[in-house]
Amino acid sequence: MKMKIQTQSYILLVFYSMLVLRSAVVLSENLLGVAPQDEEYYKGLSSSGTIICKDGSKTFTTTQLNDDFCDCSDGTDEPGTSACPSGKFYCRNAGHTPLSIFSSRVNDGICDCCDGSDEYNGKIKCKNTCWEAGKVARDRLTKKIATFKEGVIIRKHEVEQAKILAAKDEAELSRLKNEENILKGLVQQLKERKEQIEKAQEKERIQKEKEEKQKKEAEEATVKEQKGEEIVNVQEQEYKESKSDDDARIHNHPPSGQDPNKGAADPGVSLAHDDDDDDDDKDASVHNIEEHAEKNEESSKVAHEHDPSHGSGSKEEDASENAESSSREELGRAIGSRWTGKKAEQWQDEDAGTARNNDDNEYDETSDTAHEEEDSGYDTETEEDHQHHEEDDNEDQMDDVGGDEADDDSSEHKYESDDEMEDMEGTSPSWLEKIQQTVRDFLQAVNPFQTPVDTSESESVRKEYDDASGKLSKIQSRISSLTKKLGHDFGPEKEFYSLYGRCFEIKENKYVYKVCPFKEASQLEGHSTTHLGHWDKFEESYRIMLFSTGDKCWNGPYRSLTVRLRCGSKVEVSDIDEPSRCEYAALLTTPALCLEERLKELEDKLEAMNKEQPEEHDEL
Amino acid sequence: MKSVVFLHYFLGFILLVSHLNSVSSWKKEEFRNCNQTPFCKRARSRKPQHCKLIATDVIIGDGDLTAKLITPKEFQENPDEDSSGIASNPLILSLSVYENGILRMKIDEDASRNPPKKRFEVPDVILPEFESKKLWLQRYTKQVIDGDSADSFVVYLFDGYEAVLRSDPLEVFVREQSSGKRVLSFNSHGLFDFEQLRVKKEGDDWEERFRSHTDSRPYGPQSISFDMSFYGADFVYGIPEHATSLSLKPTKGPGIEESEPYRLFNLDVFEYLHESPFGLYGSIPFMLSHGRTRGTSGFFWLNAAEMQIDVLGSGWDAESSIMLPSDQNRIDTLWMSEAGIVDTFFFIGPKPKDVVKQYASVTGTSAMPQLFATGYHQCRWNYRDEEDVKNVDSKFDEYDIPYDVLWLDIEHTDGKRYFTWDKALFPNPEEMQKDLASRGRRMVTIVDPHIKRDENYHIHKEASKNGYYVKDASGKDYDGWCWPGSSSYIDMVNPDIRSWWADKFAYTQYVGSTPSLYIWNDMNEPSVFNGPEVTMPRDALHYGNIEHRELHNAYGYYFHMATSDGLLKREGGNDRPFVLSRAFFPGTQRYGTVWTGDNTATWEQLRVSVPMILTLGLTGITFSGADVGGFFGNPDSELLVRWYQVAAYMPFFRGHAHHDTKRREPWLFGEHNTKLMRDAIRVRYTLLPYFYTLFREANVSGVPVTRPMWMEFPDDEATFNNDEAFMVGNGLLVQGVYTEHAKDVTVYLPKDHTWYDLRSGTAYKGGKTQKIEAADAIPVFQRSGTIIPRKDRFRRSTVQMENDPYTLVIAVDSSGEAEGELYIDDGKSYEFNKGAYIHRRFVFSNGTLTSVNLAAGTQFLSDCTIERIILLGHLSKPKSARIEPSNHAAEVELGPLQIQSKIRSSVLTIRKPNVRVSDDWTIKLL
Repeated sequence: MKMKIQTQSYILLVFYSMLVLRSAVVLSENLLGVAPQDEEYYKGLSSSGTIICKDGSKTFTTTQLNDDFCDCSDGTDEPGTSACPSGKFYCRNAGHTPLSIFSSRVNDGICDCCDGSDEYNGKIKCKNTCWEAGKVARDRLTKKIATFKEGVIIRKHEVEQAKILAAKDEAELSRLKNEENILKGLVQQLKERKEQIEKAQEKERIQKEKEEKQKKEAEEATVKEQKGEEIVNVQEQEYKESKSDDDARIHNHPPSGQDPNKGAADPGVSLAHDDDDDDDDKDASVHNIEEHAEKNEESSKVAHEHDPSHGSGSKEEDASENAESSSREELGRAIGSRWTGKKAEQWQDEDAGTARNNDDNEYDETSDTAHEEEDSGYDTETEEDHQHHEEDDNEDQMDDVGGDEADDDSSEHKYESDDEMEDMEGTSPSWLEKIQQTVRDFLQAVNPFQTPVDTSESESVRKEYDDASGKLSKIQSRISSLTKKLGHDFGPEKEFYSLYGRCFEIKENKYVYKVCPFKEASQLEGHSTTHLGHWDKFEESYRIMLFSTGDKCWNGPYRSLTVRLRCGSKVEVSDIDEPSRCEYAALLTTPALCLEERLKELEDKLEAMNKEQPEEHDEL
Repeated sequence: MKSVVFLHYFLGFILLVSHLNSVSSWKKEEFRNCNQTPFCKRARSRKPQHCKLIATDVIIGDGDLTAKLITPKEFQENPDEDSSGIASNPLILSLSVYENGILRMKIDEDASRNPPKKRFEVPDVILPEFESKKLWLQRYTKQVIDGDSADSFVVYLFDGYEAVLRSDPLEVFVREQSSGKRVLSFNSHGLFDFEQLRVKKEGDDWEERFRSHTDSRPYGPQSISFDMSFYGADFVYGIPEHATSLSLKPTKGPGIEESEPYRLFNLDVFEYLHESPFGLYGSIPFMLSHGRTRGTSGFFWLNAAEMQIDVLGSGWDAESSIMLPSDQNRIDTLWMSEAGIVDTFFFIGPKPKDVVKQYASVTGTSAMPQLFATGYHQCRWNYRDEEDVKNVDSKFDEYDIPYDVLWLDIEHTDGKRYFTWDKALFPNPEEMQKDLASRGRRMVTIVDPHIKRDENYHIHKEASKNGYYVKDASGKDYDGWCWPGSSSYIDMVNPDIRSWWADKFAYTQYVGSTPSLYIWNDMNEPSVFNGPEVTMPRDALHYGNIEHRELHNAYGYYFHMATSDGLLKREGGNDRPFVLSRAFFPGTQRYGTVWTGDNTATWEQLRVSVPMILTLGLTGITFSGADVGGFFGNPDSELLVRWYQVAAYMPFFRGHAHHDTKRREPWLFGEHNTKLMRDAIRVRYTLLPYFYTLFREANVSGVPVTRPMWMEFPDDEATFNNDEAFMVGNGLLVQGVYTEHAKDVTVYLPKDHTWYDLRSGTAYKGGKTQKIEAADAIPVFQRSGTIIPRKDRFRRSTVQMENDPYTLVIAVDSSGEAEGELYIDDGKSYEFNKGAYIHRRFVFSNGTLTSVNLAAGTQFLSDCTIERIILLGHLSKPKSARIEPSNHAAEVELGPLQIQSKIRSSVLTIRKPNVRVSDDWTIKLL
């Protein structure tokens, strides 16, 4: 009897262990699609017989694992089938990188895993391409690592440089602020002195006049004339003063369209400058007039070409009622332009088969287009002249030359003043002392109460004043540009410091795109410039530069540019695109993105891939 | 006084709003209104009893009842001042009767009197087999009605219905035999007028001017107008295309804000307005009426000229001082057309589905679409180049969003020369299509009817050489302006030219096309940028000396037809064409799909897209949809999500956008919104077996896929005017959300049914308006008594779903019963016409589900099984089910209603019955 029980329990034991064994076999077969790190989770099944869905929604049994019926809403029970919509299937991809794919890809007739493990129902046969694909990927990774290595070194250097440069800039700024204070005091003193002298002179003259009046009462007419002159003089002086005030104000509020040089130069130079400017303007306007003439000719030619082809038959004559004098063709263009937002003239481009990516006109069909065109022609023409000048002057500074209007003048000014300031810096103490000394001597030497006033003295006071206030405004403009620069966010390690004041170009078809970090981005086509955006900010933790509120699009948004940054040993714009109308996207490589941690990651990845390699190789 | 002031403010506000709307949008002044359209103005000003015609010489011949319509002597001597019918030749009227309750009435000039020109009869619209359904009339009976001085002639029409020709006063009507109640009546108010063609005499000024355009009108006035009355009608519907409510608002009558008549004139309207009777891209002169007591009837006028239709409010004729027997539930309408003949069809119903079937027996049912075409389509003006295409395609996979078709708009061509490719942007079109096809996806390119006048363009060369272009009034090739600039238009009314055009789609001719490429016909109203009202001049000439005015509304139809034939031809007739068209006409349903044109990204336009698509379905064109998101403008993420949610239940489901708009592919609006859009698209894909079965039903019977609620619940008055919610088949009720920031939505659930919210499984009693949660998804309900087939696995596109197993969702009614159908074929060829399909009816009764074969003797193989059966509303809690004939058991447990749903729902689920869908079987709950 006992024996029997033993036998029975033995049989039972065998039976149970067989069961366990069986479920273990089933389990290992059924771990299809399970990622190695999850295997433990599923092995819980062999002991307990049930397992909880990862989201806790339910439990399922051994037989329900990969039984092609979805029990867990998160797909825990179907790692190897398409039954659960939110499941993931893991392919080992020996020889390449493992991959987790959507369960919707399992047995869908398309080879998604390079090892073909996602297609196992026999409907199609997938070739194992992991070795080839892996090799390509490894090569690419190796190359990438090389780039990173190079970039990391450059980046380190740049970060160090940035620290030095920033410190230097900051030091300069505080020194300049100091100098500004001193200079302000001097200028104030000189100004007071100058005014005293002027007052004295004035008094003197009035005295003289009185005397003369008394003397020559009969010659009233002459006196009146003199009076007139006097008023003119005063006005002139007032004008000059207010002008320099204006300049100073402008410099304190960048960005400005003014050339700060004007205010800084001494009167003589300034005069010469003004003349030059006038000449420039004249040249430009002559140019423009010619342009206009050409344009007008063109447009009238176009009009003539169109007219005869459609004639002005009886149909046209009836138009009076509607005051529609446009030709059939113009009507067609105008109506069509509603959908396209194109100017009627741009249809010609279309004819030639050159698709236009952007239409930068604020086109309104009712407005006088010809007029608008002339205006814009005018603007761009002068701009273009500027660009030429600058390029001639600074040919060796390729990257630095900003070819783009208003702001750019100031950036160029910055470089000039950089040099000047450095001069000033080198001799700074003596320079400032000298000026201080001169003024001190001067103020002592000149006796304001002396009559009659020494005219040569009053001249030199005026000159001294102009000199000093010129230098003051130069310093002030430098302060403001430095303040502006230092106000920017150059990244946690100031790794983007060296990009300040530089521009990067790329040519794409007929356009040249120009990206100037911390300033603006633009698109140049021949003579016309379209602003793609002003510097806005970094995004995605310094992986994206955003330029926003550029020129407005017809019927659309303001243009904007998103620059995605990528590690590279050189700073280069490598790609530009307009994925959505008037929303541009570019790629910029820069060492600033070559992070050491990332390099480590890549190296680890390559190592992991190489580990897989021999095994796979053997299989092949 | 206060109210007057308020009214002023209110008007001011309205004016302001409408002004703001119109600043950049619809250019009203560029289109003619009724007053600027002489035939419309004349017809609209006529008074009741204007018609002096009487019927004489009534005989039966060739199976028809015919009569002459003449003006009696006393009126000839004193012609009505208002009458423009100077010619007094008799008109010929004929009445024919067809199977299933259709009366056809034609009125034309007497050909034996040699009129100056044969008036245009629209060819190739009526199904050839329709003629075989004619019932040959043998006799009439005479009867005197309402003490008339003359006889009326009565013929048999259908079981319980008669047609009556009343000779004086002239009236043609259909009545119920037993009660004598009228159903439909022609000329009961005597507004019929028929301007006969005349020879131009000296001093006749027939020219018409509009803005800078002159219409030479060489044949003078030739319009037709008449009144048509619908009895026992609470509402009238139909006559698309207008961006307006489902039930047609009266346009004239006491207490009604007088508006323009509903216009039917195919036009390319820039930024059209919602809530307007203005005619859009297509025209179907088919109106339905519905009332609780009498049921449904319909009236169709086959005529392709400009048409204007007034819906008259009750009491509109009071000023005429002639008292008519008033019928409270009668709706009078006034129909006016510029040219053509009277060729009309009276449909007696009496059920809503009867009327659409009767109409379909005349103009055809909708073509069976390929399965892929019922999936999601992604379009934009423009996907710029091959890289863009590749990128968009891969993003769908990256975000695991299914889609089936990627579209290319006009910019893909070489300078808008259709059938060509821009070589810089699309250097390898075949490879591109093959790459898409390798993941089961198709491509659609655009082909428009305007042909660039360029001597180096092969289409233009052949067309001009062969004289295939529409001519201007002087006989030269008409030269208009469209996308390519100076363009001419293929004359599609000529069958030979259509055949030539169809040949252009051969793979050898359309270089760069592959079998996975399908076509989109846009601008086929036709749109002519410098033409009158942005279309072709009415005096342009077509093949057979047909004036454009006579066939205008059918031009796009013939173009669509020719393109569809081209896709048929290129594959030897066994690949179902897919062609999307913007213009349409009766019969369009046989050739392809339509969409509602250039809509705008506003909530109002989302809202109006529902009645627009329901109306198209009622009038035959069930395969239709609106651009998801709105073509013009930028939808915010909420509007876009709501649009996807509603459009997922529309027959044609395509996202599209103008090139000035921001990109709006579903993954561009943040994770949460991507999920909501993905869910909406996925729900559509899970329901494709149901949709496909409904498309087959539409293909067989003409009953549309999406239906107004009153079509399914014709006795429930609360549904008659509801166009916010709609039915998909007879089983699903969909309620859209059309307002911002909606957390919930009110929905009317029709009476006598229980409704199951398909997100939660919650049951609602019908017959009242419920407030339903709608924060993340719109509510969709399954009606009790139905069984709906689904495929709950997600794939990249329809192609990969082919072998996936089915889920059946059974919602039992109060007696524990339900039924539903499933139709399956190869999804692409015409083999189903030879019987290669599976058609099952699932019947659930007494706790047993039975699969019944509705297609005995058919041979289509499918390995698909049913993996899951969900029971809603079943009272007992069985543990298992017995499956016969295989005699195995399946577990029954509680499972989710939607596998992925966040809303936890536990519903009775039969787990893995794994029966084959092609077999007969029963599953009995134990």
